[in-house]
Amino acid sequence: MNGYGDKFHWRVVAPRVVVLIIFGVLLLRAGYLQLFDNEYEGRAADNYLRYVRTYPPRGEVFDRNGEYLIQSKECYDLMAVWRDLPKEGLDTTLLCDITGLSPKRIRRALSEARQNSRQGSLIAKYLTVEDKLRMDELGISGFYTVPRTVRNYPRKIGGNLLGSLGEINERQLKNDDEGYYAMGDYIGVDGLELAYEKELRGEKGLLLRNIRTRNEDSDEILREPVAGKRLICTIDARLQAYAEELMEGKVGAVVAIEPATGEILALVSSPTFDPDDMVGRDRGNNYVRLLREPREPLYNRALYPKYTPPGSTFKLVNGLIGLQEGVLKPHYRYQCHKGYHYANGKKLGCHEHASPLNLDYAIATSCNAYFCEVFRNILENKRYDSAKDAYEVWREYVESFGFGRRLDIDLARESGGYLPDRAFYDKLYRRSWNALTVLSLSIGQGELGVTPLQLANLAATIANRGYYYIPHIVRSVEGQDSLDARFYRKNYTKVDTKHFETIVKGMWRAVNVDGTAQGAMLPGLDVCGKTGTVQNPKGDDHSTFISFAPRNNPKIAIAVYVEHGGFGASAAVPVASLLEEFYLTDTITRPWLVEYIKNKKIDYYNAYDRKKKK
Amino acid sequence: MTARRRNSAALFEGLDIWAVMLYVALTMVGLMAIFSASWDSTSEAPLSFSHNYMKQAVWLGISWVVALFILLLDSSVWHKGAYFFYGAGILALLLTFIPGLGTEVNGARAWLDIGGFRLQPMELAKITIALATARIMSEYNFSINKVGDLFRVAAILLVPMGIAVLQNDTGSGLVLCSFLFMFYREGLNNWICVPILFVAALFILSFIFTPITLLFSLIAIFTLSAAMMMRGRWRICVTYVASLLLVSIIVFLLWGLISKGNASYYISLLATTLASVVVVVIYAIRENLRPLIIVVAIFFAAVMIPPSSDLAFSRLKHHQQQRIQTFLGIEEDPDADYNVNQAKIAIGSGGIFGKGYLQGSQVRYGLVPERHTDFIFCAIGEEFGFMGALVLLGLFGAFILRLMKMGDRQQESFGRVYCYAVASMLLFHVWVNIGMTMGVMPVMGIPLPLISYGGSSLLAYTIMIFIAFALDASTRKGLPTYSRL
Repeated sequence: MNGYGDKFHWRVVAPRVVVLIIFGVLLLRAGYLQLFDNEYEGRAADNYLRYVRTYPPRGEVFDRNGEYLIQSKECYDLMAVWRDLPKEGLDTTLLCDITGLSPKRIRRALSEARQNSRQGSLIAKYLTVEDKLRMDELGISGFYTVPRTVRNYPRKIGGNLLGSLGEINERQLKNDDEGYYAMGDYIGVDGLELAYEKELRGEKGLLLRNIRTRNEDSDEILREPVAGKRLICTIDARLQAYAEELMEGKVGAVVAIEPATGEILALVSSPTFDPDDMVGRDRGNNYVRLLREPREPLYNRALYPKYTPPGSTFKLVNGLIGLQEGVLKPHYRYQCHKGYHYANGKKLGCHEHASPLNLDYAIATSCNAYFCEVFRNILENKRYDSAKDAYEVWREYVESFGFGRRLDIDLARESGGYLPDRAFYDKLYRRSWNALTVLSLSIGQGELGVTPLQLANLAATIANRGYYYIPHIVRSVEGQDSLDARFYRKNYTKVDTKHFETIVKGMWRAVNVDGTAQGAMLPGLDVCGKTGTVQNPKGDDHSTFISFAPRNNPKIAIAVYVEHGGFGASAAVPVASLLEEFYLTDTITRPWLVEYIKNKKIDYYNAYDRKKKK
Repeated sequence: MTARRRNSAALFEGLDIWAVMLYVALTMVGLMAIFSASWDSTSEAPLSFSHNYMKQAVWLGISWVVALFILLLDSSVWHKGAYFFYGAGILALLLTFIPGLGTEVNGARAWLDIGGFRLQPMELAKITIALATARIMSEYNFSINKVGDLFRVAAILLVPMGIAVLQNDTGSGLVLCSFLFMFYREGLNNWICVPILFVAALFILSFIFTPITLLFSLIAIFTLSAAMMMRGRWRICVTYVASLLLVSIIVFLLWGLISKGNASYYISLLATTLASVVVVVIYAIRENLRPLIIVVAIFFAAVMIPPSSDLAFSRLKHHQQQRIQTFLGIEEDPDADYNVNQAKIAIGSGGIFGKGYLQGSQVRYGLVPERHTDFIFCAIGEEFGFMGALVLLGLFGAFILRLMKMGDRQQESFGRVYCYAVASMLLFHVWVNIGMTMGVMPVMGIPLPLISYGGSSLLAYTIMIFIAFALDASTRKGLPTYSRL
């Protein structure tokens, strides 16, 4: 029957055995792949599921009166997956039209996408909502958009103060211990954006997206994004804007503080720039342009300078220390004949004024000789073994006013200025020095460095009659009841509060009776102030002025520093006075003064403009 | 009424109902898999005939009608017309070379385009080849072991194979090699079968194992068989293997000393093994162990095949290498690795019970290439898991064994040869197709019979299978399957 007669002949059985072996092998292979090798399940999921981060809107920033300082606007990044792009007929001119990029840049972006052909690559940033909708309408496969936020500054003020956003760099990524950031994320670069990065950024969301269907409805949301917190700044936008306006054409800084709270009302570094320049596609170009400008608009002069002496404004500190140490009484009178004459015919010059004079007139007229006497008395105090020991005591007093150290404000970067210690002078003068050697400290010259912020803080301290709150830029953070505790603590100086009234009297006289700052007088406001003219070996003197008003229950303390501005009275006083008037009364009664200060453009700055010529 | 009932009963009388049920089950599994691979949930007209699954359903209907028609025919017509059909098949194959008619699909000029309807003549030619082979092998006094007869059969196979190679459709041509399986059943001499099987096995194993593993296995197998052949000279065999290892390690170390970093243990072992052959031959002659000489000769050939083919291959120019790869049916597609990988991911991610029908991400999202044709097994493996694979392989295995059973119960050798030829071809297709989706066989453009999408293929397999059913039914009814010419 089967050709062999035997039902179990080898030629009949063997083919069946072969069939069973072949199917057995296939089954074993399937079993191995499906039951024992666990690698494939994950790889199948990797093929179509992606974790996608969703970006929350960044927190918006308001001034103390609820005006917008920083707005967040919707924008989109355009991404592309090379593998999914149409192989031909991709209309690059249309892409250029939508993204606003040149054909060359589009081609470069696409060739970069090709390097990493299965993953999304960035093609263009900062697409507007309209651009995004146009792109969606085209529906070219392979393209998709990722929502981001872009900053926008309705008042166009506070470039340095507010800071900007930039793409995160590798060092920042490495230092990000929380693992919050990813390549291409934006991070606060300077100012407020940097200092309050954690509050402003919010929390990213996470979702599981099926990248094959591109159907956003099927996204599995693992974590909703949490919007960044709103910040209410202590800044008064109108005051800030007016201060920037008045400082135009001059190099310098203005810092205004509310003494009763330590809130910074205005913080201007001039020249400034339009913060909108630091946003969007032109950010890079604008950044380089600003970086190359000789007057360095990116440098925040209100916070960073380290080696700028305070000038005569510092006499107030020496006066207070003298009073506290008991070596000065308000009624002490000293002679002044166009200066202070000491050993071997050396002289520290002074301008002409009545002599002899007492403390409040010395403050009002800013007599150098008087404060040389005060300073000598402090350092040559018999209570201490040597002038060097006394210097250390003096230094501690000065430090308690917030000089020579960082004030620990809420902005990330701040210079502490410079206050030399005993070792510094030991080294400089090979251990042989005394009160006369460092006499220029008496009038705020010499090896001192202060920031305009520290000067404003000094004004606030005197306005408070002996204490200050750490200045800060943020008034409240959305969802937080209070700020850090350090901003609510009164920081007393080492000078007893009872001595301050004497100094205030001198400052009041300087403005309202017969002093150097009469230009700051405002009827009914009882302005107090002290000018400073900082000698500058490189050119014209720097003009400074610290002030507060009103005398009782002060509302504003202000420090103005105009480089190469000449006498304190010629540049800094009018600026401060106008700002005080504007802030306290909301009006400007002296249009001629506004005219004067706006026209006072300082044309030539040795330190900066020389570079320009080269 | 009564007459008609008797007629319809007569139509199915003797029909192997189990085999028919297996056939129906396989085609239904195929339709399900095609539906899964081509279903588009967003389509507005799911019943439109533009969808692959609807087309396939229509083809399935046509196939069943044709199957009924075959059952109605007098089954002796297949024996009678075998050579005529063969001639027609060859003619259809040749038609593909006529410019207006033949079209190229995936680089193979193996298709006829008749008014938008595509047909692969090889699918139909396979039936006629099986018929012609059966006819010639059932001739009076035919013996597969007579050289003349063997050549006649070989000629019948080689003509369509040659055409397939010229069509650049080597995969289909290789299918005819599966006839060896049937030849073995028909009594082909062991001295022809064994070496062919051996070379084929080596060829396949070299895909799966590294050369060094293969060499070790060969040494082990041959030493073992030599030991059995020499009736228990175990000691000398162990000594042989031990000294082989020792010498090869010394060679390897010396080589490493002479040229640092270039030494390869595989080549050291290969050289030592080849040198040892001389020693073994001398030993065999001295001890007068003739079978050992034969074993050593086969061993020598076996050891030499993979490296020498490798060596020859590497000496060829790139385009020549490509031609050979194409000739062997190994696609030169640079994405082939990626494709097989995706197929493995699809099957591997299925697990025991699969992801559920229409839930397979790999197949759904088109990550698996040719998901409804050559790689259709992925749809089953992914969505029904190991259980799906088990069921499908079970159905195929049972079906092939059933066809072999049909062959064995034939009264005439014509039917037996035909049934075995059909079983052989099915076995080859299933093995290569499913093997390639799981990465154990090279990628050849071979579909999975009755499952893969393709109307002409489904129709051709249905005809092929139902001829076997008809021959079986006639035999069981006692009707002739053999035309007395």
